[in-house]
Amino acid sequence: MASTEDRIRTLVAENLEVDGKPLPEPVDFSRGLTEVGVSSMDVVAFGKVVAQDFNVTLTPEVCANVSTLNDLVKCLDSQVA
Amino acid sequence: MEVDLSHSPARESVAYARLDERERARLRRFVLEGPRRRFTLCRAALRAILCDQLGCENERLAFGASEYGKPFALVGGAPAAISFNVSHSGSHGLIAFAPAGRLGVDIEERTDRRDIDLLGEAVFGPAERAALALTSGHAKTHLFFRLWTIKEALMKAHGAGFRLDASSFETPPAMLRGTRKARFRLPQLPDVAWRLEDLGNERFAAAIAHEVDEA
Repeated sequence: MASTEDRIRTLVAENLEVDGKPLPEPVDFSRGLTEVGVSSMDVVAFGKVVAQDFNVTLTPEVCANVSTLNDLVKCLDSQVA
Repeated sequence: MEVDLSHSPARESVAYARLDERERARLRRFVLEGPRRRFTLCRAALRAILCDQLGCENERLAFGASEYGKPFALVGGAPAAISFNVSHSGSHGLIAFAPAGRLGVDIEERTDRRDIDLLGEAVFGPAERAALALTSGHAKTHLFFRLWTIKEALMKAHGAGFRLDASSFETPPAMLRGTRKARFRLPQLPDVAWRLEDLGNERFAAAIAHEVDEA
């Protein structure tokens, strides 16, 4: 089974773009999505997509400490553990 | 104040020259040209406004950030008595500033999105979702962006941004019905009043939220 990081990498590639172009590979997991230019609206939409894919609920409380994609991976791993 | 963020090597060069070392380091971390250009032009425009308002040299101006990342101005290392907020969408930037009171601003180009309902589930409360459900097509897109910008401006003014639960409060009923200005209190912060204004036009949705001085 794919790791959480691999699944997020796939979801990023399938769902996110900036100025109509996909994010350059490899996506840097040590950074936040808004830091690389993804709009706040796209970040919120991406959160919904991730929640659906992982079958979890990502509330602002749950995501309070999520600033980077690495944080998101940790958050999801703790949710599904 | 509006900022033209379209591609212009001449303007970008002038803007880059106004940035300090921390800002240039941040620029180097951008991997895409568009976000790099928008940051450069917006930050330089912001610097020009703040220097004018505060009567300081560009070299003395720097920026700090709150625990949630909201920037504030420093002059000679000390916090400056001015509020501001910045937003951009596409090739347009919007900068709001005031002598005091927390400020938030948001601008969004009204584009056709397929995920309006998905986003609505994440950020809208029952009355907002009901209002959206009564519309379709162009009207639905228009209303979605209008409500989004009002809420994001308010969350930016508060300072926590999307760390606030956007679905836990709703656009004031009068604004939901189309009024462009209203006063509002967040349930999370009932002692503070905010002045909200819809600044949008046909192409762009935009809104501003400004803390009211009730003293």
